[in-house]
Amino acid sequence: MSPNSMDITDRRTLLKLTGGAGVAALSGCLSTTDDSEDGSDGSDGSDGSDGTDGENDTDGSDGDDGGDSTEPYQIGMVDSQTGSLSAFGERNQRGINLALQRVNEIGINGRELDIIVEDSESENQGGIAAAQKLVNQDGVPFLIGAVGSGVSLAIYESVVEGTDVVQLSQNSTGLNLTDFPGLLRMSPSGRSQSLALSNLITDDGYDEVAITYVNNDYGQSLTDAFVDAYDGEIAYNSPHDQEQQSYSGTVSEMNDSGADAWLFITYQAEFATMVNEVFSSGYEAQFYGADSVSGDNVLENTPEGSIDGMKIVVPSAPVEEENYQTFASDFESEYGRQPTSWAAYAYDCVINAALAIQAADEFTGAALQETVRRVSGPEGEEATSFEAASQILTDGGGPDDVDYQGVSGPIDFDENGDPVGYLQVLEVQDHAYEGIDFIEG
Amino acid sequence: MTVLGYLANGLVFSSIIVLGSIGLSLVYSIADFANFAHGDTMTIGAYTALVTFGAVGGLGGAVLGLPYGFFLALVVGIAVAAVVAVGTEKLIYEPLDVDSIGLLITSIGIAFIYRAVIQIRFGSGFTRFDIQPLRPIEWLVPYGVRVTLHDVAIVGSAAVLVVGLHVLLQYTDLGRKMRAMADNPDLARVSGIRTKRVKLWTWVIGAGLAGAGGVFLGLFNQLSPRMGFNLLLVIFAAVILGGIGSVYGAMAGGFLIGMINQLTPFFSNVVEALPIAPNWLETVLENLISIEYANAIAFVIMVLVLLVRPNGIAGEGAT
Repeated sequence: MSPNSMDITDRRTLLKLTGGAGVAALSGCLSTTDDSEDGSDGSDGSDGSDGTDGENDTDGSDGDDGGDSTEPYQIGMVDSQTGSLSAFGERNQRGINLALQRVNEIGINGRELDIIVEDSESENQGGIAAAQKLVNQDGVPFLIGAVGSGVSLAIYESVVEGTDVVQLSQNSTGLNLTDFPGLLRMSPSGRSQSLALSNLITDDGYDEVAITYVNNDYGQSLTDAFVDAYDGEIAYNSPHDQEQQSYSGTVSEMNDSGADAWLFITYQAEFATMVNEVFSSGYEAQFYGADSVSGDNVLENTPEGSIDGMKIVVPSAPVEEENYQTFASDFESEYGRQPTSWAAYAYDCVINAALAIQAADEFTGAALQETVRRVSGPEGEEATSFEAASQILTDGGGPDDVDYQGVSGPIDFDENGDPVGYLQVLEVQDHAYEGIDFIEG
Repeated sequence: MTVLGYLANGLVFSSIIVLGSIGLSLVYSIADFANFAHGDTMTIGAYTALVTFGAVGGLGGAVLGLPYGFFLALVVGIAVAAVVAVGTEKLIYEPLDVDSIGLLITSIGIAFIYRAVIQIRFGSGFTRFDIQPLRPIEWLVPYGVRVTLHDVAIVGSAAVLVVGLHVLLQYTDLGRKMRAMADNPDLARVSGIRTKRVKLWTWVIGAGLAGAGGVFLGLFNQLSPRMGFNLLLVIFAAVILGGIGSVYGAMAGGFLIGMINQLTPFFSNVVEALPIAPNWLETVLENLISIEYANAIAFVIMVLVLLVRPNGIAGEGAT
């Protein structure tokens, strides 16, 4: 064999092997990437709802009779105590504990409320196992869960659907949960964010916009919702991959599109790179962004003043309302820190559940399905705390006589199980985020 | 943006890829395996420079918008990347009695270890050098070229390193030995060349260039534990396009891949402007040649070149 042909064979083997090994290495990495953490959405946890063991022949209605027992009412919760969304899980637990204190100070029909919390490990499998344990073994008629949108859906499809159990997700913002009316959630859908951005850009007088979004389900769905809602011209609309070393092509194309308003639906690291490239290319535009582009590390890693004037829409509790402020000061005295919106959502889940139990005739899934939407629905007298709402029910009011106003917003589930979202508009001023407005989704 | 602007952007990005691909090709030609830890060697260089720069500060003056301290940090980054690579060679690759495929797989593991160590120390988030970002050079803007002094510094430093390597390979004793060894290690050995020592020097040069590439990548974009690994696939493409094992091929390949990557928006403008005969073909091309597929387009061109020249641009010639 001549040295030359030897060389060629070597090259072929090498090409094959490097290719294969590259793919292997990359796929190995995929599962360990923790893309957007914090502050963004829960929707990019794991998705794909592989409902394995579909043994859900439970009759979730074997709760103990609603009568004269003094046993506490037991409901379940699936939370992300570990895994990539564990930061959300911690926030939830603080909200839950505070809400339990409020409920148990007063009690429900003379009984206490007890929540059995199981860990989803932020994964579909873990979430399904936790929900099965809660529904089939503990027989809870009311299930709070989960954080990631994929996990919430997986639980709904393989455990809850077809039973009477009420499922109320505390933190999922994925758009596709809207297609499942039986799956309630406390945090607003990403769709309301897209609508709010569209209105904001129109109100600011821009009739042309350039959009770039992260090339995944989250970016795509938010962008689609935005394009549907926006009346002006979409001058540029293109996805970009995560973790690229340069986005100068993307920003120069946005500049070439001629639009003065640029909308970014991406994650913090990608956005910071783009801002630096916009800055070093000397482009000027009015920036808008989804909540996932905001964060302290964006401010730290972009030039001072480079994003001043940018407007961002984030899901938020109505921080100026009195009931939120009471909640925040209670939270601060209990935990020594400011609450996040995610804790407020979890808090409202528990209060809403407690009111539904009190208003229901018996402690069964079927009965709770009847009341869970109505106690916080728009009919009835507004009540801003569990105490006030519970008083209306104790005085003989039915579920339609009370309208619980949550600390995270007015709730008012629509026919798809989505709440009326409450969003805050942030503006970057002097290289810091300042709240300038609130929008009801 | 004009053609000149895209070419300028391409030149900056290419410089970084060239620095990465030379080292990869050099190590392949002499140590005889594809080093998957190469990307993470770049990351090591970048983070070392970050720490050094944080410790020494600006050191007074500045050149090309970069403080003196940054250049010191660059040198330390290069040195530490080289030391880590040599240490890995001595501790792991050399004692391992496996063929080049075994070494390749081992190097993937090494890459994970490097990255994990960086993550333990610096977390998984991103950061930047504490250097004031610059606006584009003003007198170039009318030509549509939007580069900063930092970009000029990157291209300039890369050019100095590449020319230095060329001189080393062609005109020094070490360079001649390296070329001899790349051509035929056994023959080099029987003619009295201390191949082990030459191999070590190869690691030093290859990893040092990677370290420099990493520092510039951090300056160009940002530092994160996955920065080098994310670039590795593009670097492999550059090396294979150039002809693996050939240093000059790696330079050409890196230059081409970087250019194609940054010129994609220009290509898509061209396709839009051209009157392409059947309408459906125009639609297809317009949809395919778009910025979101920049890497894919670079790889398609790589495949096309390899179909014509199966051994890459530099042909059969090794070093």
